[in-house]
Amino acid sequence: MERSIIHLNVADFAAAVERALDPRLAGRPLVIARPAAARATVFDMSEEAFRAGVRKGMPLALARRRCPEAQLLPPRPERYARAMRVLFETALAYSPRVETGRADGHLFLDATGTRRLLGPPMDVAWRLRREVRARLGVTPIWTLAPNKLVAKAASRLVKPEGEYIVAEGEEEAFLAPLPLELVPGVERCDLRTLGSFRLRRAGEVAALPLEALRVLCGARAGFLHEAVRGIDPSPVRAAGEPAPEIAAEERFAGDTDDEAELAAALARLAGRAGAELRRRRLTARRVRVVLHGADGAEALRRAALHPPTADDFLLRDAARRAAAAAWSRRVRLRGLALACEGLVFPPAQIELFPAAGEAGEGRARLMAAIDRVRRRFGEEALRVAAALPPETA
Amino acid sequence: MSGACEIRVGTCGYSYPEWVEAGFYPPGTRAADMLPLYARHFSVTELNFTWYQMPKAPALERMLRLAPPGFAFTAKLTRTLTHEVDPGRWRGQVALYREGVSPLLEERRLLAVLLQFPASFVRAPASRLYLAQLIEALEGLPLAVEFRHASWAEERVFRELARRRVSLAVLDAPPLPGLFPTVEEVTHPGLFYVRLHGRNARGWRSGNLQQQFDYDYSEAELRGWAEGAIPRLAARAARGVIVFNNHVRAQAARNALGLQRLLAASGLAPAPAPWSAASST
Repeated sequence: MERSIIHLNVADFAAAVERALDPRLAGRPLVIARPAAARATVFDMSEEAFRAGVRKGMPLALARRRCPEAQLLPPRPERYARAMRVLFETALAYSPRVETGRADGHLFLDATGTRRLLGPPMDVAWRLRREVRARLGVTPIWTLAPNKLVAKAASRLVKPEGEYIVAEGEEEAFLAPLPLELVPGVERCDLRTLGSFRLRRAGEVAALPLEALRVLCGARAGFLHEAVRGIDPSPVRAAGEPAPEIAAEERFAGDTDDEAELAAALARLAGRAGAELRRRRLTARRVRVVLHGADGAEALRRAALHPPTADDFLLRDAARRAAAAAWSRRVRLRGLALACEGLVFPPAQIELFPAAGEAGEGRARLMAAIDRVRRRFGEEALRVAAALPPETA
Repeated sequence: MSGACEIRVGTCGYSYPEWVEAGFYPPGTRAADMLPLYARHFSVTELNFTWYQMPKAPALERMLRLAPPGFAFTAKLTRTLTHEVDPGRWRGQVALYREGVSPLLEERRLLAVLLQFPASFVRAPASRLYLAQLIEALEGLPLAVEFRHASWAEERVFRELARRRVSLAVLDAPPLPGLFPTVEEVTHPGLFYVRLHGRNARGWRSGNLQQQFDYDYSEAELRGWAEGAIPRLAARAARGVIVFNNHVRAQAARNALGLQRLLAASGLAPAPAPWSAASST
């Protein structure tokens, strides 16, 4: 079945919403960040500030040096959430299959099979753009493609404004000349690995047979082989459908109040969830931990991950923070569950300020190596010491 | 005289999954396979995606490779030059458009760029000036202009188009007040251009393409064109393009086939579809 997926994307969403509400902000660089916060970082910025070198997540002090003339505004997430709701409702008039992430100005709409009622999907996309502009005063990019991956790549290509239609059968030819970082799901470590072999464009990677790619990229080869050809069967989630998550749980052999035992269990669950995330080429924004008390009570806490990650160790550390917050009563534990939420394609561009720095790079390679060993020799072939029961560690 | 005119009949766009359902394309036809199949029946198509999206040369090159030799195109001008014009930026859009359609031009497959203006584009000093500047900016490209507002149905307008060697699109549409009427004018001896939109008066201003262009021409209506206006237009031009825009349930394709048949019967042989011979061997 041929699909028609529309990607609607308001570039620099927070800055665009602020400008729609206050036209005086137009035409000059705008940086959105909380100035009072210690070690404040950039929440969003306008295209002008981007061109001056300002990036999301950058320390505000550096952003100010790069773009001293920028107007500074504090982030107002409730405004962006409201605008996102309008965007979502506008799209919902055209299809029940509308998938949004956070309040970031992106959505996917599946227009497959709506032609008879609504006309050609490109006309739907154009009308959507017009309506969003009328209702919100912001002008979204729209793209139309046979799947989400290609639609998103097309949005990245035309950013900050424009439209792009990729016809069915055109996916690979469309991606071929593009730099790899525009292909959704291609990660930092992939760019480094492939770049060291002078492979910088999607078409150059598509020219490699899967076996050759496997030699270079190991476990990532399967995903990359499909991604650079514009293959992506993932569905557009229906509006209201719960967000996908990756979850794992364990029951202790007997009720316990041993912190070391809990820590080991969290490490095991984080390892399982991390492997599953990497298998699905996703990263998580949050970890949720539920502790089941021996008295039947449950305690739930979440911990955020900045940037989104699929790294076992970062997942484990976040899970431990969440568990520490959840285990506030002195009660023995019967079991626990861990879930990764806010699943997203890994960030496309090479992070300028990676949380883990160079260590993160090494970590990504370590994760890929662990996955390769486990795939070949089984889950038990390689275990992280922290995940072992306390007496054996 | 009329026998000298090369007439091509086709439809506005060819990539319609619902035409599979309607039986024009064989079951299971994918979008990527539609153009070669279309070219078995017709010798021209009007590209309408170029209205929504600025044409991109690599994409048009790939499309050209699917089209048989002898198959020709017309292409709508992008909406940022007809419907959503930004006074400060439109010249840049012209440059992008030229670049985008260059593969069609280089291969001599582009019969016309269609400047289709909305009903809101009323004849007034500002719109006249814009039209003149736009035609100048597009110089070198074969041009056809379609007006939707009746205020342009003026002898002076036709004379000016003739002076600039721009074809006037001759329309078939519902007879609604304010709508540009059917005017049998040939303003450019190189090309007459007919667009048949269907006569769905009720759906025309619905704002929904599926209703606006939902119409099936009767045999008598097609015969009216085949034996009336078309021979008269053909007598005054070296070439003619006739496209059907009533695409909703593949009526456009059916009506275009019907018109080809009627033209052939009345001695006005339309240009053969390039692959029709190949397909019959």
